[in-house]
Amino acid sequence: MDTKYIKVAVLLIEGTNNEQEVYLAFKRLGADPELLHLKQLISKKDLSDYQCLMIPGGFSAGDYVRAGAIFAARLKSALRKQLMEFAEKGYPIGGICNGFQVLVELGLLPALDSRMSDYPQASLAINDSARFECRPTLLKHESKGNCIFTKDIPYQEVVLMPSAHAEGKFLFPLEKQDEYLQRLIDNDQVVFRYVDTQGNYADYPWNPNGSLYNIAAICNPEGNVFGMMPHPERVFYRYTHPDWTRVYKENGDGKAVFESVLGYIRRKF
Amino acid sequence: MPCEVNLIDADDPKLVKISQEARLGLNLYEMRRIKKYFFKKKRNPTAIELQSLGQAWSEHCCYKCSKPILKKFIFGIDAPQNILVIKEDAGVVDFDEDHAYVVALESHNHPSAIEPYGGAATGIGGIIRDVVCMGAQPIALIDPLFFGPLDSSTVPKGVRHPRYLFSGVVAGISDYGNRVGIPTVAGLVCFDEGYIGNCVVNVGCVGMVKKKHVIRSRVKKPGELLVLVGGKTGRDGIHGVTFASAELTESSEELRGAVQLGDPIAKEPLIHACVDVSEKGLLEGMKDLGGGGLSCVVGEMALAGGCGAEIELDRVPLKDAGMVPWEIWVSESQERMMLAVDPKNLKEVLKIFEDWDVPATVIGKVIDEKIQRIFYAGEKIFEMDMEFLIKGPIYNKPFQIKTIERKDAPFEEPEDYSEILLRLLSSPNIASKEWVIRQYDHEVRASTVIKPLQGVLGKNTHGDATVIKPLENSYRGLALTADVNPSYTKIDPFWGSASAIDEVCRNLASVGANPHSFADCLNFGNPEKPDRLGELHSSAEALGYVATALGIPFVSGNVSLYNETPYGSIPPTPTILGIGIVSDIRQCVTVDAKNEGNPVYLIGETKKEMGGSAYLKLLGISSTTVPVVDPKALRKGMDALISAIQNGFIASCHDISEGGIAGCMAEMMIGGDVGARVDLGLIGNMRDDYKLFSESNTRWIVEVKRDRAKEFEKVFKGILFRIGEVGGNTLLIQNDDRTLIDIPVKELRDAWSATLYDYMG
Repeated sequence: MDTKYIKVAVLLIEGTNNEQEVYLAFKRLGADPELLHLKQLISKKDLSDYQCLMIPGGFSAGDYVRAGAIFAARLKSALRKQLMEFAEKGYPIGGICNGFQVLVELGLLPALDSRMSDYPQASLAINDSARFECRPTLLKHESKGNCIFTKDIPYQEVVLMPSAHAEGKFLFPLEKQDEYLQRLIDNDQVVFRYVDTQGNYADYPWNPNGSLYNIAAICNPEGNVFGMMPHPERVFYRYTHPDWTRVYKENGDGKAVFESVLGYIRRKF
Repeated sequence: MPCEVNLIDADDPKLVKISQEARLGLNLYEMRRIKKYFFKKKRNPTAIELQSLGQAWSEHCCYKCSKPILKKFIFGIDAPQNILVIKEDAGVVDFDEDHAYVVALESHNHPSAIEPYGGAATGIGGIIRDVVCMGAQPIALIDPLFFGPLDSSTVPKGVRHPRYLFSGVVAGISDYGNRVGIPTVAGLVCFDEGYIGNCVVNVGCVGMVKKKHVIRSRVKKPGELLVLVGGKTGRDGIHGVTFASAELTESSEELRGAVQLGDPIAKEPLIHACVDVSEKGLLEGMKDLGGGGLSCVVGEMALAGGCGAEIELDRVPLKDAGMVPWEIWVSESQERMMLAVDPKNLKEVLKIFEDWDVPATVIGKVIDEKIQRIFYAGEKIFEMDMEFLIKGPIYNKPFQIKTIERKDAPFEEPEDYSEILLRLLSSPNIASKEWVIRQYDHEVRASTVIKPLQGVLGKNTHGDATVIKPLENSYRGLALTADVNPSYTKIDPFWGSASAIDEVCRNLASVGANPHSFADCLNFGNPEKPDRLGELHSSAEALGYVATALGIPFVSGNVSLYNETPYGSIPPTPTILGIGIVSDIRQCVTVDAKNEGNPVYLIGETKKEMGGSAYLKLLGISSTTVPVVDPKALRKGMDALISAIQNGFIASCHDISEGGIAGCMAEMMIGGDVGARVDLGLIGNMRDDYKLFSESNTRWIVEVKRDRAKEFEKVFKGILFRIGEVGGNTLLIQNDDRTLIDIPVKELRDAWSATLYDYMG
């Protein structure tokens, strides 16, 4: 389908606060995004009218329980079936930062055993520093082609996207950690890993939260549900890169994420 | 009328007692004035009427001590960019043909001293509302903070340790600002003994609005409905303004209830809904509920529109059912706004608020007579003339200005300047503020194009000013910075305050921005003491002098007095927020040095002005020669620099402030991860240490692109010295070939980076 007909639902509740940036990223690329309050999606709109669902960052409902938990609970209680169908048809669902936390809470990620697990199989825990961390992070692209949100980014390329969160430490339950991690790798579900300027998997501050295996982004086994802690929408243009006055780049590194998903929808639907 | 207070029969001692017992904060003269008013009315006031007057006549609300001084010096700097300045909660200033930016800056000192987390958080909440109530979308937050030294061994009774206050305030700002989704992009953190008893927490907010959508904080005509929107009203924040208009004491802790509770997640949809209704043209007026709560907002909005108001207090949605009328009326519960709505638009307004899940309630209406009436449980409990209520007393209080003899104490030159520079870099006021900056989301909204930390990835230095690109389809930018150096102002309030303006302008020019407007937050001691009021007077005079000469207006501001404890007053702290315009953000430059072989220049004249310098502070030597300001030289220097940046000559630029030339160059090298070799032989005949560490105003270090150097020298109009070039991996500073400083960049960085992490973890 033509880009201009691609409808993207950018979903929000109170405390979501990165919706405008995500909306603009799609708008700038010629798609047809719409800011949609969860209330509207439940009562007046139909998810099947859209080709892509994005859950942007922020502090949904304040994140006073566990980050993303309240947003996920509300989504699940009202739209569980629609979400399942949407994912099963291969439509892309993306979550950034708080949105990633929501997708994990929903069971749509990592979804190792089914499309949507009944209970979260992973968690995004409080950063090792126990602080909110707003810093540039370097990510090595590790998807061998499975993830539809990063198709336009070459394998092993290092990109810069900033992180800004207090709860971003990707973890599996301790007793299943090795098994789940191996399956994640085998399924080509690891999309981005934190690295340093030399491209090495490094500790804090390059891994800003202490994530297992330096994980910054994952997708589901089918590659159409994607979550990442860093913010691609904040580096759509080169002028929001932290070092643009010293390093020349044609585009912001985050632009490719939005181009990739739109390209996939154009080809597939 | 119910619950009358017998004022008419009260003698003077009784009047004073009534004021104290009801925590009105009013003096005998003011109580007599109230007594006279009610005597004429042939009745006694009700409790709610008295409380209302206490709020309206507080220094916080009516500026009764400071107004004459502000009027004389600060207000009324005429400039073509002024759209709506000084008069409202925030200043509205021209940005481009269709857009204006909105600026507000205020203090939240007393609440933060008692309850740092909640105090700072609600400070952010309040300043955001000040911007939203002009119809604007907030786009940036700025937080200048002042605490006692982090290594203070003991603190007076009833006072919290600076480390506790610092960590609580930063957490409050971070938790609130990050949650509400507005980037915290600039500010300053300063440590000084003078803030041990009374920390200073200033909060600023900048917003963006289409000119045609600017909303006034006033009603338009009788018949309009007053709609209270946002959070419920509770007992939190009662007597906040009267608390803010008195000195802090050992027992201030008991007034914890005066500190409000913030709720960023109620605020976030409130911002959306308010901006939404105002952009749809459904409002006649809008004002936030801040100090004084309903009691201030209703009267001020109505009177500004030349009207009165009738309120049905029962309609106000409450958190605590047992609240008595006066508590409802003066509560400063957060996240509330008042709208003036034409009845024909009411349905649509309520619908929009319902869509955002934000409560909205009609609580009264605008009336023709200039009278304010309140009904509660079917009874009239309040009736006063607006003019009497809102137009509080104005005083010309006595003040005393101390004369300052400018002189230096003689001292011997130290031997090892490398060691001194490293100690300066690790001193808390100069050291990296990364510990703070990284806890603030400084790039949410994805429009922060020049960030507060700059340089090679992982090796950052501080920027001079932050730049926001506020509009999707324009490269025009807003540069933001805040400054004041209390080490100067406590020696010399006049030149110290003038220096604050100079530094703000230098910072803006450093990134290529033209200074465009200022906001001031004047934090001083008790104005009833003539020497304290003298400091305010000198400071305001200096601010007015420099700003007027530059032709740059003050567009908004706030006065915070009574910042003292039994242990003394804070240093005079006129915090200046500077806003500059960048015509094209793609031309901006940063502080971090860029490339080997690029020549390095000093712009401006270095003088023997050591008073208040970080260098003398480190050596423990006193001096009163605080740097002076020559506004003409400043204007010339800025214009020359900005034009050089716009011409693309400049690779990096940093203003010279604390730590002098040596400190400035060290910061450039730390960010660029590259060294430099410079010689200060050319810049004048002075002792080595004066050259290295003098903090004379109106100076910058610039790194010029090598292939543009000839052209730069040819067209640059101003005082310019070519002092060396970028290269190597050490900072080498010489004076006529004698080596003064020779330190590897890594050592500079290690000294500069660790301090705050060491103290704060």
